[in-house]
Amino acid sequence: MTAVGIVFFSVQGNGAGALEALTRGCDGAISLTVALAGPYLLWSGLMRIADEAGLVKKLARIMKKPLSLLMPDAPEAAAPVTLNLAANFFGLGNAATPFGLEAMRRLDRGDGRASDSMAMFIALNSSAIELLPTAVIAIRTACGSAAPYDIAIPTFVASLAAAGASIVSCRLLGRLIK
Amino acid sequence: MRAAEIAIPLLIVALLAYALIKKVNIYKAFAAGAAEALPQLVSVLPYLAAMLTALEALKSSGALTALVGALRPAAQRIGLAPELIPLIVLRPFSGSASLALLKETLAQYGADSYIGRAAAVLVGSTETVFYTVALYFGSVGVTKTRQAIPASLIGGAVGAAIGILLVRLM
Repeated sequence: MTAVGIVFFSVQGNGAGALEALTRGCDGAISLTVALAGPYLLWSGLMRIADEAGLVKKLARIMKKPLSLLMPDAPEAAAPVTLNLAANFFGLGNAATPFGLEAMRRLDRGDGRASDSMAMFIALNSSAIELLPTAVIAIRTACGSAAPYDIAIPTFVASLAAAGASIVSCRLLGRLIK
Repeated sequence: MRAAEIAIPLLIVALLAYALIKKVNIYKAFAAGAAEALPQLVSVLPYLAAMLTALEALKSSGALTALVGALRPAAQRIGLAPELIPLIVLRPFSGSASLALLKETLAQYGADSYIGRAAAVLVGSTETVFYTVALYFGSVGVTKTRQAIPASLIGGAVGAAIGILLVRLM
């Protein structure tokens, strides 16, 4: 992807622009990490408290069965996966990310390769199932919509469809791409 | 979402109370959890840098715009409004950029127009796939992502199609 971008810059004879864009990308990574750091520390700390109080184990026990349909080889990641999906559902992106990272850590087998369960988790995360798309509603309100909420139901149905399609294609493609 | 705003702090209070009853050393446990988070963050950073650099190169070089142009004829053939193509192409790459583009689209065509509503559903029902992949796989050093990206993109495309159809029926 980087190469494609640089070729496009070169065709336009814009070498300075290319270098500037590449640096901007790395700047973005730094500011994103800094933005993530606060919530990540907070939720990792709280997660550990819940863990030591035995709550994580409880949640995992409840969710193990339903989740094993989608992610069969990942019983130990059931709790963070559930918390990640729940946080996303309620529109708490900041809280969802730490749970997602924790889930990935528990799914990882250290071989640098995505397991079917990891791919399924990413696919689930890519379909934005959210109770209310608050960011979009805010923008519609700001742009003078008479009924900013009337996209909520089609949005919800569309993300359910996206999730369904992601799950099915993840299963099918998982057999093709080893 | 007022309810969610109150619910989460209350949940945290409930968690702390429960942990107290269970005689957990809250202060120590929090610090231990937070300590684990730090190396994790540092290990994600290089992968994020690689991914965001690639995205930035694609965006600012005009490669994405070229992709939009290339998709235009095909989109028109299946009856997709050409005004929506930039949004569909940009959505999996960047969340903030697609929100900015959504704002522009709504300002230009009207928030309650067909284009405006379809654009809103599009942005609301799909995710920044490449960002999610970079962050989550990067955090554990996975480079062979296998079916994760194609499956997510297929899901996004189906979601976009269903969303646009629903708006047309509204």
